[in-house]
Amino acid sequence: MTAIYTIWGYYARWTARWPAMAAFVPFVPLIAAWGFIAWLEIFPPVFLPGPVEVVERAWTLLYKGILTDYLADSLSRLAVGAAVGMCIAIPLGVLIGLSRRAHDFAWPILLFFQAIGDIAWLPILLVWFGFGLTTMTFVIVYTVLFPVVLNTVLGIRSVKPELRRAAQSLGASKPRILLEVTLPGALPNIITGLRNGLGYGWRALIAAEIIVGTSGIGFLMFDARRAGSVEEIVVGMIVLGILWYIVDSWFLAPIERATGQRWGLVTS
Amino acid sequence: MKSLALENLSKTYFDPYRGTQHTAIKDVSLKVDEGDFVAVVGPSGCGKSTILNMIAGFVPTSGGRIMVGGREVRGPGPDRGVVFQSFALFPWKTVAENVTFGPKMRGASKEERAKIAEEYLALAGLSHAADRYPNELSGGMQQRVGVVRALANNPDVLLMDEPFASVDAQTRMTLQEELTKIWEERRPTVIFITHDVSEAVFLANKVVVLSKGHVLEEVDIPLKRPRVWDDLVEDEAFKTLSNHVLQLVRRA
Amino acid sequence: MTVADETAPFSPVPYQRTWQAFKFVAPLIFLVVVWQVVVTVFSVNPRIFPDVPTVARAGWGTIVDGSLFAHVGASLWRVTVGTVLAILTAVPLGIAMGVSKPVSDFLTPLFRFFSVLAGIAWIPIATLWFGYGFGAITFVIFNAVFFVVAYNTLLGVSTIPMPLRHAAASLGTSRWQMLKEVLLPGALPNIVIGIRTGIGFAWRGLIAAEMIATNVGLGYMLFLARDFYRTEIIVFAMIVIGLIWLLLDRLLLAPLERATIERWGLVQRT
Repeated sequence: MTAIYTIWGYYARWTARWPAMAAFVPFVPLIAAWGFIAWLEIFPPVFLPGPVEVVERAWTLLYKGILTDYLADSLSRLAVGAAVGMCIAIPLGVLIGLSRRAHDFAWPILLFFQAIGDIAWLPILLVWFGFGLTTMTFVIVYTVLFPVVLNTVLGIRSVKPELRRAAQSLGASKPRILLEVTLPGALPNIITGLRNGLGYGWRALIAAEIIVGTSGIGFLMFDARRAGSVEEIVVGMIVLGILWYIVDSWFLAPIERATGQRWGLVTS
Repeated sequence: MKSLALENLSKTYFDPYRGTQHTAIKDVSLKVDEGDFVAVVGPSGCGKSTILNMIAGFVPTSGGRIMVGGREVRGPGPDRGVVFQSFALFPWKTVAENVTFGPKMRGASKEERAKIAEEYLALAGLSHAADRYPNELSGGMQQRVGVVRALANNPDVLLMDEPFASVDAQTRMTLQEELTKIWEERRPTVIFITHDVSEAVFLANKVVVLSKGHVLEEVDIPLKRPRVWDDLVEDEAFKTLSNHVLQLVRRA
Repeated sequence: MTVADETAPFSPVPYQRTWQAFKFVAPLIFLVVVWQVVVTVFSVNPRIFPDVPTVARAGWGTIVDGSLFAHVGASLWRVTVGTVLAILTAVPLGIAMGVSKPVSDFLTPLFRFFSVLAGIAWIPIATLWFGYGFGAITFVIFNAVFFVVAYNTLLGVSTIPMPLRHAAASLGTSRWQMLKEVLLPGALPNIVIGIRTGIGFAWRGLIAAEMIATNVGLGYMLFLARDFYRTEIIVFAMIVIGLIWLLLDRLLLAPLERATIERWGLVQRT
């Protein structure tokens, strides 16, 4: 037991100095186990390739430039979709959050369209726009839109009335109150909505690329499925995982922490 | 109820981030007689909560022994009831279920538990709130539940860790008076941790002043009982004792 | 990991409930009216967007020939099997891992990684492993729910305040009682959130997987209609998908969340 504690002490000290390492080290035993199982060939290699084969394939794809091209395609689609989605969603959310009538009217419609879900739109979008960029962008905008709108509304409505009254009695005009009090108060929720929206949007992108795609990581995986190349599927999955992990934990989560937790509005 | 003794108690922490040993408690000895009420005061960081956590068995000791009724303490157990500063009521259990949690753990029957709930909720003046959930109660009411939950388990020793620090001043005085009344009737053995000097002097028979992990002085409090705030605020003996303890704490 | 969407507060008075229901349905009826008016006034090509009666007739057709029930039944059966299996395995695993802080610290990145990957990204490899059909689709649903629920359970157990565990220990709980009385209920709010999020991912994953890998189910119904340019069936199927999800979420998942989290006052923990 003492040995374990000592090792743990070293590990804790080490990860305290480089916190990023705590996110990588746990994968080492997992990959080792994967390699071992693949090496035993319990499952045939066409079903479960080893880590070495996967890395080799990843290197080939990278070397040919396919991986980087596809990655750029997927990321730019996601970025464009997310940007457009937010430009629509935040003003809409503010409007619905501020006006009771707009809320009563729009809320059921929002819930219904959210319930239909992005992917169910693919067939009709294909009828409308054909196989192409418009279809994919539409799906992502649609996916990002709802979580951001719903959370913005929630955020606006959860700003304490005393804060608005305080601003009023300090002489703030209505637009100033919106800008200085209501929006910052709703910001943590908006960011949570964005985080959820991107989480969904990113899955929708994969589905769209599988079904509609001519390029992108989703297309890479499905093309590999057709060709029966299991290594390439696994490469695609790992790339997706790492990518989202980076976006979420180095980009979205810090923003969330910087606002909500810093202000003590969100306890997590 | 039983007596409690700390024998040359010490605690050092290993700090994994610095790789050094950190001494929190140095060679503390203390005896609490059966049915006695001892308060431990000291500035924050003096180690008073560490001592209580060791008695409760939540953290291991680094040296010395803790004896309850002549038996050495190893790990948490129902012989020592704990009242927490954060109340630590189970949010998913009703008030009555919280109070009878201990009896349920040792396998008390439903009827038995209903009787216990009735008795102890009456003691806390909370009979009307039996079926409510903790978050539906005020802070003062929650801590009343916390106190009777510990008592309902018939512990040998009652350990209280700044139990009234997170309620408002009015409620705190009421709770202090209720606690002395319960103690005077039932005479449990109590260790009471606090940073509030007048609270310690008001409640205890003996106040232990702690400083940087060791005992600075033990002060006997020979005030007569029953104690109520209306009598004591103007009482000269109370003022003198409070002042004395306050000076010790400020020097600590 | 939660989408916070709550409707107007639940009110017990029957008259008010009718009023609430009306307020909920009225905008949707208005939307249907606008749809019909726009299609008629601008004489939209029915291949692009059909009018209301056409969709209603197409819907009635699928009900009469029973194909709607076959598709809905297949989809719901897959979701049920995948979800139940996932919850039964994920919750015990999550609790077991969450009990010790070093262990949960170590495993959290792994489970975050896999819960991020859960669902749709597994479709290609699932079809390779299980072939096209029930196995592959149920597997996709299973792992969409499994990793999200396991991760949230882990999170739930490790965020139970230490004083609560101490309190239980000092009141004399055994190991098993600690699990049953403290860890499980303490993690329950997070478990419920995980289930709700996971089923959300699973539902989308289901539709996507059914478009690719089967010959029955709601996703297949949509995709088949597209092949024949039957826009009215596509629109009808979309409405059915929306309604099923609304019913599932409002009647099953949201009440579950209310019953546990809100009564206990744990709602801020998300």
